[in-house]
Amino acid sequence: MIEFVGAGKRFVSGPRPWRGPVTIDALKDVTLSIPEGGAWGVVGPNGAGKSTLFALLLGFLQPTSGAVRIRGLAPRRYVRRHGAAYLPERFRVPGEWRVRPALVALARLEGLRPDVAARRADEALQRLGLEPFADREVRTLSRGVLQRLGLAQALLGERELLVLDEPTEGLDPLWRIKLRAILEEQRAAGRTILLASHDLAEVERVVERVVLLDGGRVREVFETALAGGKGATRGPLRYRLELAGAARELEEAFPGAVPVGPGEPGAYRVTVADEAELSTRLGALIAAGGVVSAVLPETEPLEARVQRALGSGGEAT
Amino acid sequence: MSAFALLGLTLRARRRRLLVLGAFALLFLAAAVAARVLVSDADGHVDPDRLFMVGGYPLVSAMLLFGWLLGRFPLIATLVLMAGLASDDRRDGLARLYAVRPVSPLAVYGVRAVTLGAVAFLFCGALLPLFDLILIGTWAGPATLVLVASYVLVYGGLTALLSVWSRGDAWLALLCAIASMVWDALRRADMLTVPPGTRDLVTFVLPPQAALFELEGAFGSLQPIPWDAFLYVAAYGLVMFALAGLSLAKRDLA
Repeated sequence: MIEFVGAGKRFVSGPRPWRGPVTIDALKDVTLSIPEGGAWGVVGPNGAGKSTLFALLLGFLQPTSGAVRIRGLAPRRYVRRHGAAYLPERFRVPGEWRVRPALVALARLEGLRPDVAARRADEALQRLGLEPFADREVRTLSRGVLQRLGLAQALLGERELLVLDEPTEGLDPLWRIKLRAILEEQRAAGRTILLASHDLAEVERVVERVVLLDGGRVREVFETALAGGKGATRGPLRYRLELAGAARELEEAFPGAVPVGPGEPGAYRVTVADEAELSTRLGALIAAGGVVSAVLPETEPLEARVQRALGSGGEAT
Repeated sequence: MSAFALLGLTLRARRRRLLVLGAFALLFLAAAVAARVLVSDADGHVDPDRLFMVGGYPLVSAMLLFGWLLGRFPLIATLVLMAGLASDDRRDGLARLYAVRPVSPLAVYGVRAVTLGAVAFLFCGALLPLFDLILIGTWAGPATLVLVASYVLVYGGLTALLSVWSRGDAWLALLCAIASMVWDALRRADMLTVPPGTRDLVTFVLPPQAALFELEGAFGSLQPIPWDAFLYVAAYGLVMFALAGLSLAKRDLA
């Protein structure tokens, strides 16, 4: 269980001769409870505090107010004891390093025996398609291959907590799909995944819940279609309703129903608060003589929900 | 110990610096060999009078400059190798990759500092005696190694501490070295106009140049090693390393 309790982080730059100290509240009063297992996304405009949130979570920074706990431990203590998988926003290692030796060395830092570390590095090379680059110097790698190296090093330790900052950055479409499969595998193994990204469509595909940060505060927590539980804002549920025959009874049962389009007669879009309301209204429609041929759930894209939550003041994420 | 796993990569990342230091070392040795071939006396020593006859003041000055620079070589080698000890990792985000692994940063950077210090020591510990052997047919004995160890400890520790706090670690350490040389010269000449308390405090905080000059004097004039001076510089260096370790454990990884 990860808990942020009123956590805040204020950066104070040193005073300059021409001006006094500058304070920036990167995070303000963040309260979040993230259960173990499952995938969470963190989205928000530039400067919203996503990377700072991760830095507090992994103990890189100490909160200036409130507290952060992972399984009841201070993050730095938790990470020192259990480790964590981490991909920074801009993954860099010295250009002189060679790919395989770098992975072996980082695997050794996971506390693995030399033979196990070598095997784990080879597995990571294979999994991330890095075998052809194994003996190459890092300076010669393209942006996408470097990002895959970053992912490979993050997966070396098989940690319970994965924190990935912009994991799809620089990846081609094929590797985005493969990354999705890797994350799904990690999720299925019961690991807790937190990822930050500006790619909302990608986030929606791989996480169950999304934390929207704005100006250092948690603006909203959404559930995506992958979520099965409660406890977050799901927003209104939208369905596509298809009727066989006339739609006279529809207006009474679903007052807000709107036709999908002129090319699709008998198809309507309806909005309800939850499944119970849907059942009640469908019951009323059928009782009034309506003939329902299909009810299909329609999820509102995350992008639209984020845009609505940020209102006109929010930047594009 | 897993912290040793990074040693090969650390040295690999510093191979250009090692090559540059090697090139400078070869320059010193080439100068010594040239002087020996051109102007050696019957015993095989370089004779300054013959040096003057061959090349006049410029050649004598050049050899003296080489000798002076050689005395600074342990300082230069230490700064070159230790530069960016921790700050490079903080800049590149590598420090965070280490921090999420169950390994102590003190172990990672401690092993790195000891290794780079050892490389600087071995490098200078080989160059200085070799230069002397070529030029004057003898070497200053263990005083050479004590002098090299002193520079490595003092400036290695100082650079390590500055590296946790600043990206300009080696430049700041060099600034401290120059400041301490100037300060020591002014102090010896009794030209300091600051109150005695301030003078003592600054002398205490700056690198112990007086003790280093004492050790250098023993090295240059083949005198017995002043062990009290060595103990002082060793203590200064170790305190710097300890402060670096403490800072490393406490400081945020921004």
